[in-house]
Amino acid sequence: MEPSKPSYDSLMRHTRRHFLGTSALGLGALAMRGIVGDAQAATLPKGTHFPAKAKRVIYLFQAGGPSQFETLDPKPLLREKHTQPLPDSVRQGQRLTGMSGYQATLPLAGSFTDFKKYGQSGVEYSDLLSQTGEVADDLCVIRTMHTEAINHDPAITFFCSGNQVAGRPSMGAWASYGLGSMNENLPAFIVLVSQDATKDQPLYSRLWGAGFLPSEHQGVQFKAGKEPVLFLTNPEGVSPHARRGMLDALGKLNADQRAAELDPEVDARLAQAEMAYRMQTSVPEVADLSNESPTTLAMYGDSVKTPGSFAANCLQARRLIEKGVRFVQLFHQGWDQHGGLPGGIRRQCKQTDQASAALIKDLKQRGLLEDTLVIWGGEFGRTAYSQGKITKDSYGRDHHPRCFSLWMAGGGVRGGHVHGQTDEFGYNIVKDPVHVHDLHATMQHLLGVDHERQTFKFQGRYYRLTDVAGNVVKAVIA
Amino acid sequence: MRVRALPFLVILAATRAWADDASVDFNREVRPILSDRCYGCHGPDANKGRKAGLRLDDLAGATKKLKSGDVAIVPGDLEKSAMAKRIASQDPEEIMPPPELHRPLSAAEKDVLNRWIKQGAKYDPHWAFVPPRAYPSPAIADTAWAKDPLDTFIYAKAAQAGLKPSAEADRTTLLRRASFALTGLPPTTAEVDAFLADKSADAYEKRVDAMLGSPRYGEHLAVGWMDLSRYADTWGYTGDKPMFAWPWRDWVLKAFNENKPYDQFLTEQLAGDLLPNPTQDQRVATAYNRLHRMTFEGGSIAEEFRQDGINDRVITASYGFMGLTMECSRCHDHKYDPISQRDYYSMAAMFGDQNENGLLSYHGEVPPPFVRLYKSEADRRTESSLRSAVTAAETALADLTPSGPPASVTVPAPVAHFPLEAFTKSGVDNSVAGGKPAKFERRGSPEDLQLVPGVKGNAVKFDGDAGFILPEFKQLGRFDAFTFSAFLRLGEKNARATVIHSTGFYTGDGDATGVELLVDHGKLRWSMIHLWPNSAASIETRDELPVGAWQRVTVTYDGSSKAAGLHVYVDGREAKTTVVRDTLNAKPRDNSLEIGSRSRDAGFRNGSIDEIQLWRTALTAAEVATLHGIDFATLPAGVLAEHSRLRADPAYAQAWSRLQDSRRALAAHQESAPAFFAMEHSDLAPKSFVLTRGEYDKPDLTKPCEPGVPTRIHPWDESLPKNRLGLARWLTDPKHPLTSRVIVNRLWAQVFGAGLVATSENLGMQGDLPSHPELLDTLAVDFVKSGWNTKALLRRFVLSSTFRQSSTPTAEAREKDPSNKLLARGPVLRLTAEMVRDQALLAAGTLVEKVGGESVQESANRRSLYTYRKRTAPPDNMLIFDAGSREVCQPKRLNTNTPLQALVLLNNPGFVEAAKNLAIKVSKGAPDVSAQIVAAFRHVCTREPRPSELAALKELYATQKANPPQLTTTTPKPDAKPEAKAKKKPAVEATSVLPKMPADPSLAALTLVCSTILASDAAVTSR
Repeated sequence: MEPSKPSYDSLMRHTRRHFLGTSALGLGALAMRGIVGDAQAATLPKGTHFPAKAKRVIYLFQAGGPSQFETLDPKPLLREKHTQPLPDSVRQGQRLTGMSGYQATLPLAGSFTDFKKYGQSGVEYSDLLSQTGEVADDLCVIRTMHTEAINHDPAITFFCSGNQVAGRPSMGAWASYGLGSMNENLPAFIVLVSQDATKDQPLYSRLWGAGFLPSEHQGVQFKAGKEPVLFLTNPEGVSPHARRGMLDALGKLNADQRAAELDPEVDARLAQAEMAYRMQTSVPEVADLSNESPTTLAMYGDSVKTPGSFAANCLQARRLIEKGVRFVQLFHQGWDQHGGLPGGIRRQCKQTDQASAALIKDLKQRGLLEDTLVIWGGEFGRTAYSQGKITKDSYGRDHHPRCFSLWMAGGGVRGGHVHGQTDEFGYNIVKDPVHVHDLHATMQHLLGVDHERQTFKFQGRYYRLTDVAGNVVKAVIA
Repeated sequence: MRVRALPFLVILAATRAWADDASVDFNREVRPILSDRCYGCHGPDANKGRKAGLRLDDLAGATKKLKSGDVAIVPGDLEKSAMAKRIASQDPEEIMPPPELHRPLSAAEKDVLNRWIKQGAKYDPHWAFVPPRAYPSPAIADTAWAKDPLDTFIYAKAAQAGLKPSAEADRTTLLRRASFALTGLPPTTAEVDAFLADKSADAYEKRVDAMLGSPRYGEHLAVGWMDLSRYADTWGYTGDKPMFAWPWRDWVLKAFNENKPYDQFLTEQLAGDLLPNPTQDQRVATAYNRLHRMTFEGGSIAEEFRQDGINDRVITASYGFMGLTMECSRCHDHKYDPISQRDYYSMAAMFGDQNENGLLSYHGEVPPPFVRLYKSEADRRTESSLRSAVTAAETALADLTPSGPPASVTVPAPVAHFPLEAFTKSGVDNSVAGGKPAKFERRGSPEDLQLVPGVKGNAVKFDGDAGFILPEFKQLGRFDAFTFSAFLRLGEKNARATVIHSTGFYTGDGDATGVELLVDHGKLRWSMIHLWPNSAASIETRDELPVGAWQRVTVTYDGSSKAAGLHVYVDGREAKTTVVRDTLNAKPRDNSLEIGSRSRDAGFRNGSIDEIQLWRTALTAAEVATLHGIDFATLPAGVLAEHSRLRADPAYAQAWSRLQDSRRALAAHQESAPAFFAMEHSDLAPKSFVLTRGEYDKPDLTKPCEPGVPTRIHPWDESLPKNRLGLARWLTDPKHPLTSRVIVNRLWAQVFGAGLVATSENLGMQGDLPSHPELLDTLAVDFVKSGWNTKALLRRFVLSSTFRQSSTPTAEAREKDPSNKLLARGPVLRLTAEMVRDQALLAAGTLVEKVGGESVQESANRRSLYTYRKRTAPPDNMLIFDAGSREVCQPKRLNTNTPLQALVLLNNPGFVEAAKNLAIKVSKGAPDVSAQIVAAFRHVCTREPRPSELAALKELYATQKANPPQLTTTTPKPDAKPEAKAKKKPAVEATSVLPKMPADPSLAALTLVCSTILASDAAVTSR
């Protein structure tokens, strides 16, 4: 028979049937544990449905909606037709946001920056992404992403959790739930937010929340500075030695309680306290970038020395996945260029281009790229026309969900490849659309997970990251 | 991080032997299989996806001859039943359920289905859709054990599994358990001592009654209701502005404390506004419907978010009152439960009955409709008398005798006049002496506007994006008279064009406020607005303004706050208009008048304007005509008489002045009280339609939806009003199959750790079956009979023998019933986030017990239900202990163990502070360390430490004291002021400052001991 999948309800019920502590099972068992229930996991290699091409994910989320026209999707026609109105035949009556929807005219805006071909593959990148271009042969650019929401909050929630409605588990939480951690001293899902970004649109903890999954799967935010994880540091005056003494005493209290109450959950609680203690050592260790070689640091650029910068977070991400963290998600805000796009996007690319490329090179040098999936992109794209007036050296672009670009690398992804084609206005998709659900399905597929089978029963329904849709995009897989 | 549980029970169930002919129970055995594996394609959803025309959720469908010629089920005949063949098939093309479902049938499940068909395929209605009935108490062996009839049901079921009830828990444990169940706090040591000393037979009853009577009871009960109702202190979404909602939370805890009958509790929240002469409190209760998130993100589409808000109301009420997942039917018929898409939109019509905007204002006003929160009955009476005064003044004005015609009509001089002949660098000149020029707006340069030939000399043609702003033209309030006149020429039949407005920054429909003259599909709409569309006076011309011709448009407003005070004149004559809104009840924002453009809105595209004139008075019709060069002698007598009244009748002037004074006095009184968002039925609400695939912009106009309910759950009584009040009456019908069961089950879960239906959030087909169906039904019936008496029900629970049992299992009991479903022992609960923190504060002696009021930061040391809840950044320690973000309805919390919880207990500044204060408290109470530790342990864990526990803690103390903390020499920060009020815009508290150990070695050691106690199992559980 097929055992029932672990669900909200069975977790509640079986919590006291926990196997106790982690020592008896060790890491192998941790990795083995239940993608669809432990009994079945025994028949599945390494907790996956099929062999995984990627063991880990680093998601470089570019929040705000980077313009594809100045980064990954060259449109020479827009330069030719610069300032001319967007033809109605292209727009086809599709909805616009209320920000430019009432604009008297919708003048097309050509990219201010040039594109060049890079690498053997000859994939085009804008001059703002010249360093990314250097690793072009490792990257797969998808130019035909599309999504359903047109405003930031619903769109970023949709991208991070597969649903516009708040309260669903995030991508990383699903990965943690399905695949677990490869390091019992660190959380499986870690989130890093750039401190050097322009915070034009806010982020919300729901973007890395566990939703209805157990809270252990929620993303743990690492912050630059003295206390990388909230409440990690002992109060002033409590030495590690003192803390050890407290835990020993706690161990005795709980052992006594367990003997008296015959409740194995007491042990589970103690095991968590012990893990917290180990995290107090392992987290500062992994967060300490000072041992990185000058060559490595130089590769990521000057800003790597600024704690919490995008560059520092990229390096941090590499260190985390090296230690076995399953899913690291970076957030870099500031891509919401409704106006003054040339200056804004130049700044954004300056902050992210070198470090993103360095991360790919660094992973490759260490042999980690082949089984680490890296994704770079935002929640939607931007319009071919200018929001507001085009002036001599500036323009803006409104939100555009109908097509946008991102890139993926490593973890079984086909390098030096461009997937999908948009029309010459960059307004609609001509060939090979990739919906957000498709991207999620593909990401899960690379992790060895069948997106239709990784489900969690909640409120009477089997939920999955891809809701009721999503197709694996085979063409982007090597 | 944690090793997953093995589903032992499932394996046990699978290996259980069954007899060939054992009779099958449809609800218990068959329906869960059909629902989970079959209904997705062969269920109640008629819209799409029903495969092969087959439905298996009723007998008629299952026994119908299909197009293929097959019959799925021939009752009693396995051979002829296609279903039996298909489930037995090995062929991937044939087998059911299809392999793509990834949930194949087990051998045991196939056997159940086969036996069911053989035994006649009898369908029983879903247990939860049949009204509950009371069952007699089963006879039990140990009759003396049962203190309440509920105990007999528990005893009988446990006995079937070979289990006997456990002995009564010791009194200290019992008091702690009851105290958490009823108040969310542990008993104090003094309460424990008093209880232990009280040898009377009803000592426990007395304590229980005291707890039920304590205000802590309502505070505790409110938490679960706040989860269900998604209560928070911010609006959520981008920007996450503060939401003024706590008066609703206070209403809830007061309702619990006053033991408001549950049917009233439900009715007032769903439909307090529809009750006859609703009180202020009943209106406040309806905020329940409005606690959903709202956005003001630029560019958002109001209808999209209005629909999302309505959806949130529907699903919150469905979970909260019915334990149903109605949101499934937003896009299609429900796959499992008998709820059609039309049912869903009938419910949506119930909850979308407001004259409201889907968007929050960028400027943060309380989104109408709202109720004024008066502090006292006297204030409310004042409002009534001020209203009467307005009515009296209106009557007095109307009773005046009309005046005769005037001898002449003179147009007053305008306060500004823009001839629009030429641009200066920054705008256009005002020809009134000393008047300020207008300034370019939106572009800041003349190049976007054109000078074109006008009526007199030049005029200005607008591009739709750029315009003028008149900085001196502010303070256009609802009591200020105003006239705008200009020649307009439409360049196109504008679907929407802003001619003038005083909104200031506008990012969408939620922001419209002030005066506003729009072209709407060629018609002129003239309004004075607080917030559109709820609070506004607005009229619209019946005729369209012709395109391409110059016409003088004059609009006036008399400062009355009424639609009747708005007039539109075209070429000097009053235009025929209709009233769009006449509900203005609060003041507009105070911003400069802008002409021809508005941020993020459609401006006066291709339109031209000439000779703009402004007055801070409402011109009379005769003056408007005269302004346009019409000889006043030719005007109708009524127009002339009205002019005389307005301009030359001192009696009228006095009566008008009195009326306006009375209106101002009423408004001033109203605005002295805060506005509080509430539900308010309005006939102006948009009609509800089925939305194709649930998409806001795809209403199916052939499917209008009257307000209604899912009648296959419970029939609708046609005598009920078709609105939220009717919905409340329907839900509280004693025969409603869900309402009483859902609340009884939820309260049971709160006391016993898990519901009689484990899926307390879902009693539909996909939910669990009740462990004790007869008990649940009997309790539900009793509850309704008791007058929906919540306190009485909880009193029964905690006084029952079942509740009083020791929670420590025997080895046998643990083996037979690991999760304690049968309750042959007392409940064990991991404390909730709120309980863990509140207990620490109480133990430390720093808990500030004040009932209700504004939400506060954690440093105020109030109970956790008062902690400010920011939806996009909920308090970390709450999230870590499984509380949700309150972005959406949360019917149940998970209960997890994570390392971060240990970090909270040991390092969170609030908990370290509590440990320190507890150490200080106990060190003052006794000189002896041992006694101090015992006292600390009792303050937190209620019971005395066992000798081995005390020994471990004493050892810790000794070691720590011998190694005193090494502190830096910085001066310690003063403790946060208790009762510190939340600021106007409370930020999330900084957590970067590390808490500090006391320097004194004894106190430091004792602090660490207290910290260890707070993190121990005995502290975080109720056993």
